[in-house]
Amino acid sequence: MPDVPVLDLVGSGARVVFRRELKAYFLSPIAYVFGALFLAVLLWQAAAATIVDGAPASMQPFFAYLPWLFLLFLPGLTMRLWAEERKLGTIELLLTFPVEARQVVMGKFLAVMVFLGCMLLLTLGLPLTLGAYGRLDWPATLGSYLASLLYASSYVAVGMFWSSMTRDQIIALLASIVSLALLFLLGVPQIVEGMFAGAPAWLQDLLNGLSPYKYFQSIARGVFDTRDFVYFACFCGFFLYANTLVLQVRRQQKG
Amino acid sequence: MIEVERLEKTYGFARALRGISFSVQNGEVLGFLGPNGAGKSTTMKILTGYLLPTGGRASVDGLDVVERSLEVRRRIGYLPESTPLYADMRVDDYLRFCAEIRGVPRSRRKAQVARAVERCRLERVTGKNIVELSKGYKQRVGLAQAIVHEPPVLILDEPTSGLDPNQIVEVRKLIAELGEQHTVILSTHYLQEVEKSCTRVVIVHQGEIVADGTQQQLVAQQPSGGVLLTVRGPEQAVLSQLRELLPADVPVAVTARDGDRVHYRVAVDRQNAPVDEALARLVVKNGWDLLELRREAATLEDVFRNLTLRAQQEAVGA
Repeated sequence: MPDVPVLDLVGSGARVVFRRELKAYFLSPIAYVFGALFLAVLLWQAAAATIVDGAPASMQPFFAYLPWLFLLFLPGLTMRLWAEERKLGTIELLLTFPVEARQVVMGKFLAVMVFLGCMLLLTLGLPLTLGAYGRLDWPATLGSYLASLLYASSYVAVGMFWSSMTRDQIIALLASIVSLALLFLLGVPQIVEGMFAGAPAWLQDLLNGLSPYKYFQSIARGVFDTRDFVYFACFCGFFLYANTLVLQVRRQQKG
Repeated sequence: MIEVERLEKTYGFARALRGISFSVQNGEVLGFLGPNGAGKSTTMKILTGYLLPTGGRASVDGLDVVERSLEVRRRIGYLPESTPLYADMRVDDYLRFCAEIRGVPRSRRKAQVARAVERCRLERVTGKNIVELSKGYKQRVGLAQAIVHEPPVLILDEPTSGLDPNQIVEVRKLIAELGEQHTVILSTHYLQEVEKSCTRVVIVHQGEIVADGTQQQLVAQQPSGGVLLTVRGPEQAVLSQLRELLPADVPVAVTARDGDRVHYRVAVDRQNAPVDEALARLVVKNGWDLLELRREAATLEDVFRNLTLRAQQEAVGA
């Protein structure tokens, strides 16, 4: 086992946790109901907006809906990750397996991301249809898909963090939705200007710059800036690290 | 194999462990006894690396449980209290998962899972979801999970609580078998369990060790052990004669009446031991029939009650 913490993040322990969690998602009826609902609402809404007679083929409306659906759907996926383990007591076994806590965190995170990736793959029917009947800008569409995945990763990291704070899944869900909604609002410059009208411009920029939504839009627009990718890596890294810290701190207490 | 030195754990203001020390030799089956909240689970959670101690140290196989937690965890099979399991998994999937995450190499995984299944007699349910199993089977899955990587040390937190009497007998038999190949620490409320399965007993109370030794040692230290006497004769006369014979501070009581036989208990302790003969002579001299005269045998239960209740009364008195 290498001693450099970053290298073993996807080590064997993380892989075993990842496989178990992913299987749990694919076997859980709740995930299917949630997933079906997500796809139904998304495709119905987006199809109505994208497939317009005479208009140029565009996936823009689809990617405009996505952040809103993520806001409800992703906290629903992540709420169980730690809260359920604590409620059932299985966390005591999980954290006494010979695996570092950070690997367990990483395994769970990647499992949600892959499940979500599968959901997004299922939406490819929409751009394929559009592409068949009109001229679709494929590079921009695929760029937007990538942006969506990165954007989702930030939501998953926040949702997992809240799940680690409580044994009540509903509290995890609500805390995630509220905090993610706030982050989303910070991503809209007009709202920041309105809410912090008296604040200096640099502070407004800073608050705006905290929001994943800003970087999502930037990548979805088709502008690939390394800084946007670095932002998502830092954002996820921060919350996943915080998640590991919560687990560590709890070892000092009652568990 | 396991060394615990002045281990302390504080939760906020509550001191769950007040510096306990004990050691477990290779091959021992240690019974960890104590009332609820005595600190049994806390000790086990520290040994398995789930909690960090506030003070003192503990080691397994010479490895510190804090500094070298991962290596320690590899050597331990752990069954936490109330047997948490992933209810949505199949038994065989779950055991494979446990073997894999504990680093059992792929080449040996299948064989070791099969062996754990066989030792815990789970053959009939391997294809079932854990949620469908009875409590006894769930407990056996918990034990199978703990032994699947063939660890030298087993830590079992109340392995039989909540089972019905038949299941308890089965799980105990299983633990006895496991004790032949592993060093075991098991905590329990059931004294019979310790009497049946353990080679040594540690009694904890309010975060401190109040007794440590083999069962025989602990029972031998026990000061109590009254004399039980069954006499056929007039009850009042017998009682007054007994009181006359014995020192004033030795209580005499009638414990049962069975026709014309009366059972008495004379609560002497070991210090004023040679009363047996005097009692016998007294009864015979008065012309009553002496039907039984024997020493009460102290049990582990007496030891337990004495140590934990006395400490409680002292605490209340102070």
